[in-house]
Amino acid sequence: MEARQETVEIPEALKVVFARLEEEFGGRLLGSSFFRGELTFTVPVEDYIAVLKYCRDTPDLAFERLDSLLGNHYPGRKEAPMEVVVHLTSVSKNTRLRLKVMLAEGQSLPTATGVWPSADWDERETWEMYGIQFDGHPNLIRLLTTEDFEGFPLRKDFPLQGTVGGRIRTDLKGKI
Amino acid sequence: MGGAPTNGHAHGAEAVHRPTLEELKERKIRTRQRVHEGQETITVSMGPQHPSMHGVYQAVVDLDGEIIVRTRPGIGNLHRGVEKLAEQMTYHQFIPVTDRLDYVASFAMNHGYCEAVEKLMGVEVPRRARYIRTIAHELVRLANHILWLGVHIMDFGAQTFFLICFRDREYILDLFEMVCGARLTHSYARIGGVSKDLPEGWVGRCRSVVEFLPKRFDEYERLITANRIFNKRARNIGIFTSEDCNAWRITGPTLRSTGIARDLRKDEPYAAYDEVDFEVAVEYNSDVYDRFLVRMKEMRESCKIIRQCLDNLPDGPYLAHDAAHVLPLKKNVLRDSAAMIQDFMHVLRGPQVPKGEVYRAIEVPKGEMGVYIVSDGGPIPQRLHLSTPSFYHGQAVPPMFEGEMLADSVGIFGSIDVVLGDCDR
Repeated sequence: MEARQETVEIPEALKVVFARLEEEFGGRLLGSSFFRGELTFTVPVEDYIAVLKYCRDTPDLAFERLDSLLGNHYPGRKEAPMEVVVHLTSVSKNTRLRLKVMLAEGQSLPTATGVWPSADWDERETWEMYGIQFDGHPNLIRLLTTEDFEGFPLRKDFPLQGTVGGRIRTDLKGKI
Repeated sequence: MGGAPTNGHAHGAEAVHRPTLEELKERKIRTRQRVHEGQETITVSMGPQHPSMHGVYQAVVDLDGEIIVRTRPGIGNLHRGVEKLAEQMTYHQFIPVTDRLDYVASFAMNHGYCEAVEKLMGVEVPRRARYIRTIAHELVRLANHILWLGVHIMDFGAQTFFLICFRDREYILDLFEMVCGARLTHSYARIGGVSKDLPEGWVGRCRSVVEFLPKRFDEYERLITANRIFNKRARNIGIFTSEDCNAWRITGPTLRSTGIARDLRKDEPYAAYDEVDFEVAVEYNSDVYDRFLVRMKEMRESCKIIRQCLDNLPDGPYLAHDAAHVLPLKKNVLRDSAAMIQDFMHVLRGPQVPKGEVYRAIEVPKGEMGVYIVSDGGPIPQRLHLSTPSFYHGQAVPPMFEGEMLADSVGIFGSIDVVLGDCDR
């Protein structure tokens, strides 16, 4: 099927990004993929902040902006079920890059608020929705849900109707 | 400034001074009071039900006299768990939910979501649908900016102007009512096109609205642009330089008021934006007044875009013929067995989606909205994330307020255009 956005080969601007990241971090990067014109790198936890800083400060890359930071949960992946996905945008070069960090259950990630202050709420949201800890975050408290909320609602094992109140009573079946 | 301008373009007549980033930083420091931590402060809670807070945004501010020392924002009062809901429904079913994000500009939200899904599926949208989407998106931008303008000016104390703006917004809502039956929650975009074709007589009516609105904008500018009170109050407050904007992910008109011509309609064209001629509205002073100017320019550009689209509106289908990904035309479902089967398959089983992940950002009226979708090959997304502009704009309120007067905070908050449905999701 021929799609309007489909590009077979990597565009020039992303080739530069690819080359520079490969050159700087080499074998330490855990993988890369290219789908629908988007470049994705999987980054080890130890290099996470270094990669972010490198992407921001290298003039060739110039990713000035953190577009979004979010979590994801893959219950099927036993050793690393949690994931943090970061989207970077370069306003001057008009390129985008996606970075992924895979985490084990309970493993924490250093905070990106020192690199981009806009990561603050994103990280708070990721923590409250997935329970991913961000080391060094200045104010890691619940943001969108209430303070007394229990559980991490965006995990796949969290029921859609919640864990308190408003549930359909199945224990009364046949009794009334 | 002062004195009545002869036409709407009062600003263009002056010699435009373009301050550099250093000058802006200097100006920012000069216009703001230095706040001293540890001094005795008074805490005032503004919101979530405060007349000057747009929606249910809470800002607890610590005041040193009239100077804001610290702001603690509180959001989440409108949180509906949209991302969790998205993981429970098919790609088609999620479209009406996106309406409830930014309910002032619902179509823009539908559009952003559909663009992302189309990118994931590789659906090609017919040319007519792309034109209709462009028209609808610009109409919604007009409606959003007009509403914003009325509320923003009301923040500065002018009550009447609010009603003027509401009256003019009605014309656009009427157009939407004609085309999709809804005034606010449009749900007009579909994966692969739009839900309905433009009705009889709509093009002419739309044309008369976009011919008429610029005259209204002239009127607005006569009332506001040179208004002495607005000038005194809105100039040189809330300065946020381009560096700050990048650090805090501020996008849209606020970013363009800092002299950066970043507009996804130009930079990553979608719909029919690469086929129309328009200018990116840019201003240079990074303050509340320039954000107003950017939006005024944008409204005029929107009218221009709509006019071009109406002139060149192509014929053809308004929904893609793509049985694997797109719903069939409703009128065919009861007449054509293939279309009926297609409808059943989509409703009962959902579309066929390749495995993969995409991030698609478009320029909605408030800024850049990015939609991130992860698909595991099933009919429902594995993960859907919406990075909405208001979320980040609401986050940037503390650094924007710091050192400003309490009375100005209301105007500054209005100028970044936060809608809480968009922010809390």
